[in-house]
Amino acid sequence: MAIDDSKLTDREKELANEFTATKDQLRKVDKQVAMVMDLNKCVGCQLCSMACKTLWTSLEGREYMWWNKVNTQPGKGSPKDWERMGGGYKVLFGGKVRDPVRGKLPTKKEFGDMWKYNWDGVVNSKAGDVHLQPKNDDGTEPDWGMNWDEDQGGGEYPNAFYFYLPRICNHCAYPACVDACPRNALYKREEDGAVVVDQERCKGYRFCLEACPYKVIYFNFIKKVSMKCIFCYPRLEQGVPNACARQCTGRVRWVGMRDEPNSLIYKLVKVWKVALPLHPEYGTEPNVFYVPPLSPPRLDENGKLDPSKARIPMKYLRYLFGPEVENALDTMNKEMEKVRKGGKSELMEILIAREWKKMFEPFTTDPATLDRKPSSIK
Amino acid sequence: MANIVSQKTTKSKNELLDCKSSYWSQGNRFTVEMATTPLANQPSPYIKATYDENAIGLIKELKMMSCHNSEQVFFYFEWKSETPNFEIGNIGTFPDAVAILLPFKDSEKTPIKEMGTKDFPTNGWYWRPDFEEKPKNQVAHGLATSIYTKDSSLFSTSKWENGLWKVVIGRSLKVNEEAVNFEPGMKTVIGFAAWEGGNGERGGVKAFSKEWLEFELQA
Repeated sequence: MAIDDSKLTDREKELANEFTATKDQLRKVDKQVAMVMDLNKCVGCQLCSMACKTLWTSLEGREYMWWNKVNTQPGKGSPKDWERMGGGYKVLFGGKVRDPVRGKLPTKKEFGDMWKYNWDGVVNSKAGDVHLQPKNDDGTEPDWGMNWDEDQGGGEYPNAFYFYLPRICNHCAYPACVDACPRNALYKREEDGAVVVDQERCKGYRFCLEACPYKVIYFNFIKKVSMKCIFCYPRLEQGVPNACARQCTGRVRWVGMRDEPNSLIYKLVKVWKVALPLHPEYGTEPNVFYVPPLSPPRLDENGKLDPSKARIPMKYLRYLFGPEVENALDTMNKEMEKVRKGGKSELMEILIAREWKKMFEPFTTDPATLDRKPSSIK
Repeated sequence: MANIVSQKTTKSKNELLDCKSSYWSQGNRFTVEMATTPLANQPSPYIKATYDENAIGLIKELKMMSCHNSEQVFFYFEWKSETPNFEIGNIGTFPDAVAILLPFKDSEKTPIKEMGTKDFPTNGWYWRPDFEEKPKNQVAHGLATSIYTKDSSLFSTSKWENGLWKVVIGRSLKVNEEAVNFEPGMKTVIGFAAWEGGNGERGGVKAFSKEWLEFELQA
């Protein structure tokens, strides 16, 4: 399967070096924006999803896309069973080698179509004769959707559990999509590190959909190009935070510069180390991080609380967030205890987020204050 | 003697553009042997590492003919494809396709395996069933660089039946967009590529003619 480098001609080696240099260039950034989402606060209301949909994905072949979505965990997510679709890298030799992993191309139905409803039939018939029914674009009945297995969760009564997992593109430091594209259509913006698709260069080959291990790239079947979350970079350029973050009523999301020591993102990720990437073993180094969910103690077979075990099995959290999750939860438990005893905790102050706008610094501009008349939009 | 000669004819554009015209079923066809594009040359580390060279480039040969009527040049292609793929499908399928590649300048300095270089570009004529018989004209300055020109003067007709694609691609000998222009008596070289969409072939994952073939427009 893989190429035997020792058998390459000099010209092939030269070309390979050129291509590697090009990909390095496409990944290069001056600054990196990042997002942290606190899973202890997400209530699965999908306001983030609706904010994103209204702004970016309501028209022209984008209708079925959810650049932001909230999945229920444990669950199959969207596209259905995305965690089993491959992609990403096998990381070897302490991160020195990233060996690409073949991925599956997700289908529109696995993502879930934008359903059409029989409104006319319902409205223009005798009450009860015609029931409201969604249909896929091709007329078939839907069997999957963006949060199809909502609240299904895992475990067994009385220890059943679920939590929500909002997902956007992770704007990875080593985006598998950038490496995958033979057209060099995908790249990281130097000024903020957002991963974007050059719509002029993209020819719709969908290697990026295969290679992305998070399966957050969609194919536009009308425009015949790949499309994805752009981290709302046109908003960031105006100092306005991402629509999903600003719309979130639960104060779940922080936005900021990953490597700026005064940013709350830096504090959560690098200082307190309570914000972790999803599936770090995929090897792409995401720039979206999650504060993992705490949970109440399990009930034992006698119905008594067993404080030694959390309701959400550690094994499952390790599967999602890697081995660092234990330390992260430990830190949070200790800091919570400190506050319970009357102490102060910088971490808890950040997570509580009393001052909403501080969650987005330096992107604190209110979009309502911008001149958005058509004539002012370039 | 050139490998492929575009025969001079007095037949009309309408007749020659028809892929079912008797003109194309009576003449001598040239067989182009095709090979898988080498994975070593793939600009995508992902494709290079995860695709299997033995499982791609399923189209092993193209049968082709060419002619011109002093105004337009025509290329006829025929190849086996068990099931037709007309568009970018939902489940890992892509449109079947065929393409012509021509060097703009000195063919000796224009590597076909790299679709040319920065200084020695190539002109591609790219047919797909979902282009609605308006093939794309593209210019490449090396692998990963091909760009469709804004305008394309290419036209085509096509038909798939009984496991066989029949495609005619035509164009005026001279055009305004960035493309290789022709005139009767001209000698150059030519290359071909073909994609089996049902096998997920697209982009550089394809079969190609490996070397330039000599090509001449009969005077």
